[in-house]
Amino acid sequence: MSVTTEPTPARTISPSAPVRRRRGTLGARDRTFGFMLAAPAVALFLVVAVYPLVAGFGTSLYDQSLIWPGRKFVGFGNYADVWPDFLARLGTTLEFSVLATVCPLLIGVAVAVLLNARLRGRNLLRGVLMLPWLLPGVVVSFLWAWIFNDSYGVINHVLTQLHLPQVNVLGQPSTAMAAVVVAKTWNSFPWVMVVVLAVLQTLPREQLEAAALDGASRRQRFRHVSLPHLIGPVALISMLEFIYNFGSFDMIFVMTGGGPGTSTMTLAVTLYQYAFTDFDLGKAAAMGVLWLGVLSLVCGGYFLLNKKLES
Amino acid sequence: MSALSFPPPRRRSRDVGEGITSPTLGVGGRIGLTVLALFGLLPVYWLVATAFMRREDVFSVDRPYFPMDPTLANFREFFDNSTLLKDLGNSLVVSAGTAVVSVLVSGLTAYSLSKFRYRGRNMIMVMFLVGQLVPGALLLVTLYLMFNSAGLLYTYTAVILAFTTFTLPLSVFLLKGIIDALPDEILEAAKVDGLSNLAILFRIVCPLIVPGLITTAMFAFMRAWSDLLFALTLAGPDKQTLTVGMTTAFIHDGAADWPGLMAASVITSLPLAVIFVVLQRYFVSGLAAGAVKG
Repeated sequence: MSVTTEPTPARTISPSAPVRRRRGTLGARDRTFGFMLAAPAVALFLVVAVYPLVAGFGTSLYDQSLIWPGRKFVGFGNYADVWPDFLARLGTTLEFSVLATVCPLLIGVAVAVLLNARLRGRNLLRGVLMLPWLLPGVVVSFLWAWIFNDSYGVINHVLTQLHLPQVNVLGQPSTAMAAVVVAKTWNSFPWVMVVVLAVLQTLPREQLEAAALDGASRRQRFRHVSLPHLIGPVALISMLEFIYNFGSFDMIFVMTGGGPGTSTMTLAVTLYQYAFTDFDLGKAAAMGVLWLGVLSLVCGGYFLLNKKLES
Repeated sequence: MSALSFPPPRRRSRDVGEGITSPTLGVGGRIGLTVLALFGLLPVYWLVATAFMRREDVFSVDRPYFPMDPTLANFREFFDNSTLLKDLGNSLVVSAGTAVVSVLVSGLTAYSLSKFRYRGRNMIMVMFLVGQLVPGALLLVTLYLMFNSAGLLYTYTAVILAFTTFTLPLSVFLLKGIIDALPDEILEAAKVDGLSNLAILFRIVCPLIVPGLITTAMFAFMRAWSDLLFALTLAGPDKQTLTVGMTTAFIHDGAADWPGLMAASVITSLPLAVIFVVLQRYFVSGLAAGAVKG
């Protein structure tokens, strides 16, 4: 990767070459200067993001611990060890990513459509509803863990007052995932809301009015005029959210730690545990390489779809 | 006002003028919006209310839903806790550092990508686009080993470098959008006037994009302030940030000091709320840029 990003500025400054000026260009002689400006970012990115992705493969071939010095070559042994785990965690991760993408999407779009109406205090409400998105993931996690708390949580308090049985939401494998998804939904619906609202407020007014003149009902106008404009941005943020959720760490780590059992154990939490609880760096790296494989497929799909949407 | 300015009949107002782009809400819509707004806001209320409640009240059977005798004790305990105070300081250092480094590095990069054409330029942009999608956990093992062998593990430098890498893509694309809007003629005129490349950058471009630089700095600050994963693994106990400190300070033997935790949550969230109020009008465009370009 580093080879292909390296420019060859020496050629472009040769004085005999005709200096062709294009818009947005400060002239060929400045290209070296131009690249030098980007060099720190490129260097940082190559060292802190690109290199670790590649180097993980090397580590994955060794039996290497965080607490013992030295390492032993084991070939693909780590992969054989983590493969069953990987498949199971991939399922959990997919479950979380799909739910944590779809739920905020539905709620975000609903709030945006409703907030698009003429309403007193609309701007205030929109501003205040951004709060859940602002809070750090750790705070959101603790807040919902507190709300769901089995002995003192407000939900169980209300249930008791209504003489209903209490629920230990975070303590049961069947409901723990739902609890994390609720927290995640609460955390990320505002940003769907903001984007969708921005689109709704820039809809071509003429089209809506023409449709109204032709006798289209409100529902028909939404279905045939607004919706086509919304699909692009909504598809885009869904894919982004999905990819972010696929690697998200903090909420699950704080709320359930992957438990109870392995009911909420996603790839990110597993990798952390392999490396920093079991101190098994080789296994963690092998897991990372497998994960990267899946991620490449997802990203590839994302870019293909993105291209399709743009054209 | 004259007699002509009667409001139009109610039914029609839905189908003309503003009624089309922003229709009125029916009863069902109002109920729906209320329910959704409560889902959004009640937890925030509960966060703040618990932070002001006395511990006895929170853990009592007839616990109130409103802090009847509001107390500042939970906040006071936070500021009496030397570890948490140090974590708060670390958070400030690391987030401010990330903001400064992000602005410097991404400002230069955005200017480069916007106004210069050279081989590899597109590769750099693709690298940032793809890089934005890589989850942090994936880099964890190598980053840990790398910083360890460089002697940077458990230092501010390591944490800031890691954070900055993750803020770079959004920062670069945000600033690039702003610099793209600067007309080339200004830069060319400055060049004709004999200004050096660096002088053009710092004396012409920089002052024109100050709002963008501030927005970038604040986005980077927020990102660093909120992170858990890198702070947990690369910062070590001495340089750990508030998000990490919170996960350990309030939980003893599986039981948590919830009022204290909520007070700490309020303190942790406050800087972000302040930044949001300052930045509100840049938020949508910033988010949209991140979504569309990301």
